[in-house]
Amino acid sequence: MLIAVASAVGTSLLEVKSPRGIDFVLQNSPTPQKYLIETMPGGVALLDYNNDGLLDIFLVNGGHIDSPMQTSENFNRHDPRYWNRLYRQNRDGTFTDVTAEAGLANAGDGNYGMGVAVGDYDNDGYPDLYVTSYGRNILYHNNGDGTFTDVTAKAGVAGGGWSVSAGFFDYDNDGKLDLFVTRYMEWDTKNSKDCGGNYHTYCPPGEFPRTTNILYHNRGDGTFEDVSERSGIAAKKGHGLGVAFADYNGDGLTDIYVANDGMQQYLFRNNGNGTFKEVGLEAGAGLNVDGGPLSGMGVVFQDYDNDGRPDVIVTTLPRQTYPVFHNEGNGTFSDQGLQTGVTMLSGVTSGWGVGLEDFDNDGQKDLFIAQGHVLDNVEKIDPSLHYLQPTLLALNHNGRFERANPGTAALVAGRGAAFGDLNNDGWIDVVTTVLGDHPQIFMNHSGTAHWLTITLHGTRSNRDGLGARVQVNGQTRFATTAGSYESANDKRLHFGLGSVKTAKVEVFWPSGSRQILKDVPADQFLEIRELERP
Amino acid sequence: MIRTALLLLLALQTISPEAIQHLNAGRRAESQQHFDVAVAEYRKLTELDPAFAEGFLNLGQAFMEQHEYAAAIVPLKHALELDSSLTPGHQLLGYALLAQGYAAEAIPHLSRVREQGALGIAQVETGQFSEAIPNLQAALQKRPNDPDLLYYLGRAGGLLSKQSIDGLLAAYPDSARAHQSLAENYFVLRQMADAEKQYLSALKLRPDTPNLHLELGQVYAMSSRWPQAEEQFRAETKLQPGNAEAAYRLGNTLLQEGKAHEARAELEHSNQLQPQMPETLYALGKAAALDHDDAAAEKAWRQQLEIEKDGPLASQAHFALAGLYRKQGNTAKTEEQMREFQKLQGGSSQNNEEHQ
Repeated sequence: MLIAVASAVGTSLLEVKSPRGIDFVLQNSPTPQKYLIETMPGGVALLDYNNDGLLDIFLVNGGHIDSPMQTSENFNRHDPRYWNRLYRQNRDGTFTDVTAEAGLANAGDGNYGMGVAVGDYDNDGYPDLYVTSYGRNILYHNNGDGTFTDVTAKAGVAGGGWSVSAGFFDYDNDGKLDLFVTRYMEWDTKNSKDCGGNYHTYCPPGEFPRTTNILYHNRGDGTFEDVSERSGIAAKKGHGLGVAFADYNGDGLTDIYVANDGMQQYLFRNNGNGTFKEVGLEAGAGLNVDGGPLSGMGVVFQDYDNDGRPDVIVTTLPRQTYPVFHNEGNGTFSDQGLQTGVTMLSGVTSGWGVGLEDFDNDGQKDLFIAQGHVLDNVEKIDPSLHYLQPTLLALNHNGRFERANPGTAALVAGRGAAFGDLNNDGWIDVVTTVLGDHPQIFMNHSGTAHWLTITLHGTRSNRDGLGARVQVNGQTRFATTAGSYESANDKRLHFGLGSVKTAKVEVFWPSGSRQILKDVPADQFLEIRELERP
Repeated sequence: MIRTALLLLLALQTISPEAIQHLNAGRRAESQQHFDVAVAEYRKLTELDPAFAEGFLNLGQAFMEQHEYAAAIVPLKHALELDSSLTPGHQLLGYALLAQGYAAEAIPHLSRVREQGALGIAQVETGQFSEAIPNLQAALQKRPNDPDLLYYLGRAGGLLSKQSIDGLLAAYPDSARAHQSLAENYFVLRQMADAEKQYLSALKLRPDTPNLHLELGQVYAMSSRWPQAEEQFRAETKLQPGNAEAAYRLGNTLLQEGKAHEARAELEHSNQLQPQMPETLYALGKAAALDHDDAAAEKAWRQQLEIEKDGPLASQAHFALAGLYRKQGNTAKTEEQMREFQKLQGGSSQNNEEHQ
């Protein structure tokens, strides 16, 4: 039934390709014991680690799980099958596995991999990697020579427990990227359990205690300070999975949205004094349209209706539908799932990685979601639901999303999704991760519409301008690599221009400065350097 | 009553003084809930006077008090052999037999004393569903919230329905009703593809059968196939223009599709056909809000709250009103509604947990 829906919507903008050189398989190691970690990986990042102008792909692996699990499970991360992988893109569109030479092999025994964040935390012009795990997280400093160094201990960002998604952002606008890490729950082998009676399913999050997320403040000397308590972040325990950043109330400060599983979602409003206040409920962005809790997994915090204000879309479990929290402009949100058509598209699916990107370059951001149920035996409990699901692509027609052909009818257990222009043709591509399988690489066919892709170069702001608000011909994007689920996107800001051949570009830098560029020709990769002086 | 008392008096005059002492001791023990002692006393009584029916009756009753139904059966049967007119004997024996799984044997005793609740249960256990239902209903009139009676009435209804459907499927396996019945079963089991197939077969045979389109529409709605659901609900509303549920389902489907204006019209029609339905009013409020008519939305939700002040739907209405006021920038009213919402949720938003 689902296949019929997916294949009945015409030719696709996207096509799933298998570029030579990518042989990664996401090893989640499902067991009969149904350890919850098995169904939660894994992230993907699109980054240009060697600054050669081509996006490379970093994929996070799970690990080996014994059946039953040992109390001090090492997950065999030293075994190459369970390594995270970095694939360098070559000029001909093929990829080369550079994991070992980059120093990214073996993510540490005892760490079952989850997600990845990308950001240039030391402003040296090279993107660094932060890998989250059940276990210990790792910060890899990019040495600028094609290698990375594990600087976790020095930086003080190992975290611990069960980390899921993470993102770099500059919450205090001091020009140095800080780090936010979501954590799922208090869980360990000893206290694991399965649910579902005779069916043996993964347990819902409510079966385990909530835990805190982590906020690390960048001291600027290669170390971070855990400010979770002081900032108020740790005051709200939850079941955190996805995280995304944007300035929702236009005060020039980046706010945080956390997708929580099986409960209220959190919106942390930045107070501007190093503290945050959780305002999800009072802002109308915490519960679904009927006041129900949400199994929030992935989240995107971008402006889908070109009103200049970032909106929130959260991916959830079936029967909940994905809420579309429209930013009303007065510090509040309203769920516009019905108005946007997203309710119609999400009744029986489970969403994870999510992005609002302009796939057809018509000037309106479209919706892409990696899907697949949490429970690998959900059909036994509810035959109307399915573990393997199609990918969702929905094109934005003036604020209403209509299902489109995602380029494949394959049913998969989709998880992470990262967005970026892999082949630098001005059209957005996607890489998703699939449990127990190869990643899916969705290449955009491209077309005749015009586009503009902007790279920010901060001087007073952080090096990549994360947190900047960029407006192009009435469209707005918030510069971020975070969002989706466990994944990190191309840092470049892409805008579809439709039939228009020039653009007016306005950049509102985190430092507070504003730059305007007029009559910018379309169809180019534009680097904008922040003025040294306002 | 007078006759029974006289008979008992006459009976007492026939037993020995020693037996009377044990009878009285047994009664005292029973009143003090010392059932072991009562059993011992009544046992002595029956040994001293084996023709005294009431002695066996009392012994059986003492066993029953201890939930020793198996032990109670023998003295109760003996009591009735001695005196088949002992009404309490039939009642107690009926209960004891039923408790031990001898439902068929219990029925004549329970029937004789018109113990309709237990009789109905025994009839359910022996497959006499149509006979059981009026007995259980009569018993429920005396004890309206008895969980056992409610359970058995539900079970009797379900089993009677199954019996009837089994008959239908055996006699007319290719009939529209047979397909409908199978479809309903598949729907309950959430096997939507099979349910759809069976409903379509039924519709092919008898397209004008009431409720077929409605039920098929629900299959599509459950599968989030909203355009197909709309088509079926529309067909049902054409077939049954006076069916409020069909109008409600159509309205709700149009709402899911974001067709605010059309949804509103259908929900208003449903509300006219069957006023004061909280579900309809809640959906009507949502459709009106979607149609940018805040005043109508507020009116519908407030009307709904007048009908139903608590429960999940009331909680949803408070949340919806809060959203409406938030959008209008009315902080005081927003907070008031959120307080009501949280009150009905049983505390703060921290309690908003859900299982997968």
